[in-house]
Amino acid sequence: MGMEHVWLLPAIPAVLFALMGLFNGLVPRRGDFIVILGMAVVVVLSFLVLLDFQGSFRDGHFAPGDSNLYSFSWVEIDTGVVDDLLLIEFSTFVDGITVLMLAVVSIVTLMVMIYSVGYMRGEVRYGWYFAVLSGFGAAMLMLVVSGNLLLLYLSWEAVGLASYLLIGFYWERQTAAEAAKKAFITTRIGDVGLLIGIILLWRGAGSFDIQEIIHFAEGGGYGETYLTVTMLMLFAGAAGKSAQFPFHVWLPDAMEGPTPVSALIHAATMVVAGVYLVARMMPVFDVALVARDVVLYIGLTTAALGATLGLVTSDIKRVLAYSTVSQLGFMFVALGVGSVTAAMFHLFTHAFFKSLLFLGSGSVIHATEEQVVETLGGLRRKMPATTTLFVIGSLALAGIVPLAGFWSKDEILLVLQDGAGFGPFVILAATAALTAIYTTRLVLLTFFGEPKDQAAYDHAHESPAVMILPMALLALLAVIAGFVALDPVGRALGFTGGIGEVVFTQGHEGHAFKLDATIAIGATVSALAGIVLGFIYWSGTAERAVRARQWSPEFHDLLVNRYYIDHLYQFTIDRVVLGLATVVAYFDRWVVNETGVDGSAQGISFAGYRLKFFQTGRIPNYALAMAIGVIVLALVAVGRT
Amino acid sequence: MTDNEGYLLLSLPLIPLGAAVLLMFVPSGERTLIRIVTGVASVAMFAISVYVFFAFDYRGEQFQGVLAWPWFENVGFLGDNGVQLKVGVDGIAAPMVLLTGIVILTGTWVSWKQEHRSKDFFILLFVLVAGVYGTFVALDLFFWFLLYETAVLPMYLLIGVWGSGRREYGAMKLMMMLVAASILIFTAIFGIFTEAGLGTFDLPALFDATYDPTFQKIMFPLIVLGCGTLGGIFPLHPWSPDGHAAAPTAVSMLHAGVLMKLGAFGIIRLGFQMMPEGGEFWAPALLTLGIVGALYGAIGALRQTDFKLMTGFSSVSHMGYVFLGLGTLNLIGMSGAVLQMFAHGVMTALFFLLIGALYDQSHDREITHYSGLAKQMPVWAVFFVIAGLASFGLPGLSGFIAEVHIFIGAFRAYPIVGGLAVFTAAITATYLLRMFARTFFGEADPRWSGVGEITWAEKAGATVLSISIFALGLWPAPWIDRIAMGLEMGIPEVLS
Repeated sequence: MGMEHVWLLPAIPAVLFALMGLFNGLVPRRGDFIVILGMAVVVVLSFLVLLDFQGSFRDGHFAPGDSNLYSFSWVEIDTGVVDDLLLIEFSTFVDGITVLMLAVVSIVTLMVMIYSVGYMRGEVRYGWYFAVLSGFGAAMLMLVVSGNLLLLYLSWEAVGLASYLLIGFYWERQTAAEAAKKAFITTRIGDVGLLIGIILLWRGAGSFDIQEIIHFAEGGGYGETYLTVTMLMLFAGAAGKSAQFPFHVWLPDAMEGPTPVSALIHAATMVVAGVYLVARMMPVFDVALVARDVVLYIGLTTAALGATLGLVTSDIKRVLAYSTVSQLGFMFVALGVGSVTAAMFHLFTHAFFKSLLFLGSGSVIHATEEQVVETLGGLRRKMPATTTLFVIGSLALAGIVPLAGFWSKDEILLVLQDGAGFGPFVILAATAALTAIYTTRLVLLTFFGEPKDQAAYDHAHESPAVMILPMALLALLAVIAGFVALDPVGRALGFTGGIGEVVFTQGHEGHAFKLDATIAIGATVSALAGIVLGFIYWSGTAERAVRARQWSPEFHDLLVNRYYIDHLYQFTIDRVVLGLATVVAYFDRWVVNETGVDGSAQGISFAGYRLKFFQTGRIPNYALAMAIGVIVLALVAVGRT
Repeated sequence: MTDNEGYLLLSLPLIPLGAAVLLMFVPSGERTLIRIVTGVASVAMFAISVYVFFAFDYRGEQFQGVLAWPWFENVGFLGDNGVQLKVGVDGIAAPMVLLTGIVILTGTWVSWKQEHRSKDFFILLFVLVAGVYGTFVALDLFFWFLLYETAVLPMYLLIGVWGSGRREYGAMKLMMMLVAASILIFTAIFGIFTEAGLGTFDLPALFDATYDPTFQKIMFPLIVLGCGTLGGIFPLHPWSPDGHAAAPTAVSMLHAGVLMKLGAFGIIRLGFQMMPEGGEFWAPALLTLGIVGALYGAIGALRQTDFKLMTGFSSVSHMGYVFLGLGTLNLIGMSGAVLQMFAHGVMTALFFLLIGALYDQSHDREITHYSGLAKQMPVWAVFFVIAGLASFGLPGLSGFIAEVHIFIGAFRAYPIVGGLAVFTAAITATYLLRMFARTFFGEADPRWSGVGEITWAEKAGATVLSISIFALGLWPAPWIDRIAMGLEMGIPEVLS
């Protein structure tokens, strides 16, 4: 299994999607095991690709030969007569971040699928659910192996479709249907930018091939303003998919989907596609520094915004969703200072601990059928395994040494300090502390204290092994995934000079991780302080939590109303967009149709009605008209002579 | 494709004509016999259309399957080859023939449940199809226009007799506007005939003739407005929403699916191929009308609450893309325009098929009256979603291939227009997804508990159309090869 066969990875689940989507009724268990086996094969293959990738290093340099490892032309307009060339290829490309993404996507997808066997048992459309999961896996894998921007766009839309279908999985519920619509339209608006950006890149380089575009940009082929606009457009697509401000509104609503879907699509894989895209195009962003700065500040805004909203949200899944929004902001901050390594490393660790947290919340919801944290509590007694695993995930998210989140968050703070100075650094460090606070709140309200809703508590039970085991494996990864940053670990895995040098970077050159004692200690202390603060407010009685709210009612209101951003959008759609549509509809009806078309018809009809009176049929009238005509003609004749 | 295969091209208009004549002798009550005759004829047309499309050699001659029989020559103002019955297809007509085959096949199936004067309905429908096929395969300007009118005129009766809602109004408006537009085409045709001074209506000969640039600049707008009216060009589109709303299912399918393409086809044939310099002069105006129509149709559709009116506005929007693509004057954009003609044809036929299937059961087309339809009609909803996804250009479906060519072409010509065009696709997504969320999903409304799944004929038709949508979306090469070749050979002067 060499890198040139990497197209097999998306092909296997794609075929399974088509087969199981149509024929899941014909196989036992509606084909869930077939889909899971297919994904297990993909996991194995992705490790074979990793091995091949590792083997193609010569003297610390990546030397796989041809950059487009596999390709065939899909659309080709070039017959030589006219100087017009359009070539769209299906081509794959493998480098460090591809290998990384393959591992993340395939492992998390497999774990979520296994978990779903327990979680979705007895649900409607069980077979269709697994088929779409498989389809999603195919699209996501294709997205990360594509070496061509249009193929990437194709997969990008395909994961969006899978997300739409899965958010709206319980479509009988109007809220689910609305959430699916909101997610699709919001990301679609970002995708307008993405497609414009891709075409603008093509317009300069004359190719959709990513490596050729990078080459062209590095050679200064694009004008500065042109490239800035282009990369901002591209970033709009990335921000839409990755739920960055101002597109972040769809992600919390997307929690209407089944919880395993949230773990897979809305935590670990699809929402990081934007991060992946910017990382993939980083050499071009390096030429357009203004656009890169925008990435930084959008990321910073989103990180803070998501973390503050996580503080007051009461739905357990929505807290995690805002947390995801915030953590994606962290990754964009790293990209904004040009560090692909830090961003991809955080993407890697975040995928494991956040999907773990989502699966944990799914376990709670499965057991209690309740997802508002204020009604939960005390679940640790009934669900010890879930509690333990959830706490591990939370500690990783909060960035407690030596769990995965610690290493990657540290790396981001470090590159930020080097790259953007003190201000952004302070904001992000404070956000990291906020992360610890809201995580603590979530854990305390859900699993500790006294049960607030006795019925839900009585209903609770530990989840079956088929759900706990995937969580345990993700928890293991959430513990150890950060260690790859350590040089000895990388060497032990067979990468000379540390795994970080090759796997977490874009292109062919390595980039080493750094560790800074001051930042590491500072971050740990602030995370611990956050946890302590969380304990002070939310452990014990509900009154204390209320008092916390009263600390600043105005700010609390602002947060509960999500900074009024959703309201603003709703207002814009209702009043501005639909208002304009009403104007156009009325214009079409009354001006174009009634006045223009019917009006001219009525005009002619009216003219005919009037003119018919000239035809009276009475001789004297005609005689009079003739007489007048003769006189007029005579006068004209006289006048001319 | 050899010239002898021109007999197949000739059979395309003759089969529906023959079937129509045959139907005249079938007693009205014999519904089985009517179904057999129409079924056999539609399958034959479909099979020949598919064959013609694939047999067309995109490395060969510009016109293939060329056969000619002289009709009038050397009389009066006619010289050699004055008027001939001449058939042949090029790379632009071949996909249109395929489109017609697909739409008439599925349109016939869904019309079988037509109870009211079923025989007369099919006679008129087949005369219309004969006209459509004839226009695509005719290589003589006289017959071209004759058949063009043959395709348009039965529409009046089909809507007026078998339509619904404001059918007299819709039929009358459609007819008045299209006939008025035909006067412009008629004028241009005689202008071209006189200016060429060859005494022949032979199309290839007229393409090769040279026309005075001033003459071209005067005549080109007549073609654009004349044919554009049938194509639904803004602001001559008002017949489209009302006409579609009033027409019976199969007529809507054929009309939006194929007849509107006839308008765009006329602009290419009589406009760009005949008068390239006029085309170059007026292209910016065509492009402007295209993008305005695309945006206008999409924004207007946001507010429509009638399924068919919404699809009618959507058609105006999508045909706007076609004119936009033609106005880019480069091979990529113009190929996109022809691709869009095909893509919009199958997609909109599917839309109208499904809307008709619902309306036949519920007799209500008001979108806001429905909720949770996917519960009662899951298969129907799946097909509708496929058509919708194709409509807003989801990659892997037909709409994307066409739109991406148009976008790229537009960006080559005028980046701002390209940006607006991409934005329009987002509006399209908005109105369709809003409708899905409100109408298909959510709780099932007990009012419609009597509404059941669509019939087998409708499922079969929807399947054929969906396969076409996927085929073009996933493997567009056969279309692109033919279209690019047709444009390169047809309008080399225009392409920059």
